[in-house]
Amino acid sequence: MTALLLNKFSDSECRKLCHAVVDGVCGRKQPQREDYSAICSLEEWLDLNKFLAKLFCLAAGGHSSDEEVLAALSDAKHKDILLSVLKARRQELSRALLDKTTSISSAVLSDFDWQLKLALSSDKISSLQTPLLSLSLDVRENGALRPVTMEMTRDELNTLISSLEAANKVVLQLK
Amino acid sequence: MRFCGDLDCPDWVLAEMSTLAKLYDKVTKFTADAKFESGDIKASVAVLSFILSNAAKHDVDCESLSSELQQLGLPKEHTTGLCKSYEDKHSALREKLKEMSLRLGRLESVSWRVDYTLSSSEVKDVNEPSVQLKLQVKGTESGASETTVVSVSADKFRVLLCELKQAQSLMNSLQ
Repeated sequence: MTALLLNKFSDSECRKLCHAVVDGVCGRKQPQREDYSAICSLEEWLDLNKFLAKLFCLAAGGHSSDEEVLAALSDAKHKDILLSVLKARRQELSRALLDKTTSISSAVLSDFDWQLKLALSSDKISSLQTPLLSLSLDVRENGALRPVTMEMTRDELNTLISSLEAANKVVLQLK
Repeated sequence: MRFCGDLDCPDWVLAEMSTLAKLYDKVTKFTADAKFESGDIKASVAVLSFILSNAAKHDVDCESLSSELQQLGLPKEHTTGLCKSYEDKHSALREKLKEMSLRLGRLESVSWRVDYTLSSSEVKDVNEPSVQLKLQVKGTESGASETTVVSVSADKFRVLLCELKQAQSLMNSLQ
């Protein structure tokens, strides 16, 4: 039983591991095997990691209640530590899970940057004097980031914004 | 020469001035006995396109262009005709040159759809709107447009729209 592996951990080690697992789920640094190599074997470590991540995700996602979490832990020590970590980081976890939900079966916007430039001159015309907005979207698709870049004139930006405004109106009604 | 961006007129243009000068006679006879050889036609078209596009590129006024062309040896009546066409098409030419200027990725069309997610395998009660965006961007080199479909969470969508509006107001303050 994987949950019983927790018994090998001291209170502070268990707390550190739980937070590290949550960090991993939220897209930050994964727990590092070498920090716990003295406590459990590689296989045990992988099992435990997977078990904890799943437990936290199910609980934070609302698919299992706190009672069900306790039941899954059966006779393991540190139940209260797990629950306190879950309580402290529930919000963070559910935000990460919402992001995962958005990315189910579609590419997702992970980040964007923009830059406003005034184009002064070009090889075609000596006095261009056109403001251009560079928009760069980082699209995450199957785990890989793909940049999508475009340069827009004022008219094109206006078209984009009025289109997005229309969508935003609908979004606001739903909130 | 102003229409050459204050540089000397290229030799080939100078050399073709006499060809251009023959244009009137040639064209009148053109249909009759087709003495205008294909080399002459090509040369005339090339030199006319050079003069017109360069004059528009450097935004030369009609009078300067007329006097400069006469300095180069083009007869007065030809110059008047050329400058008349130039004046008529001046703004259209400049618009076209602006449009032809280098642009890195042009946004061609935007489509959107707002979804309301009820539940997922990650989170039991999602109840969050999300926006699906389809952007068609015309690339720099091939000229082929690339379609990107991306799903954006409601929060990120709000930030994107808000920042684009900031950029828009900056852009508007430029003129």
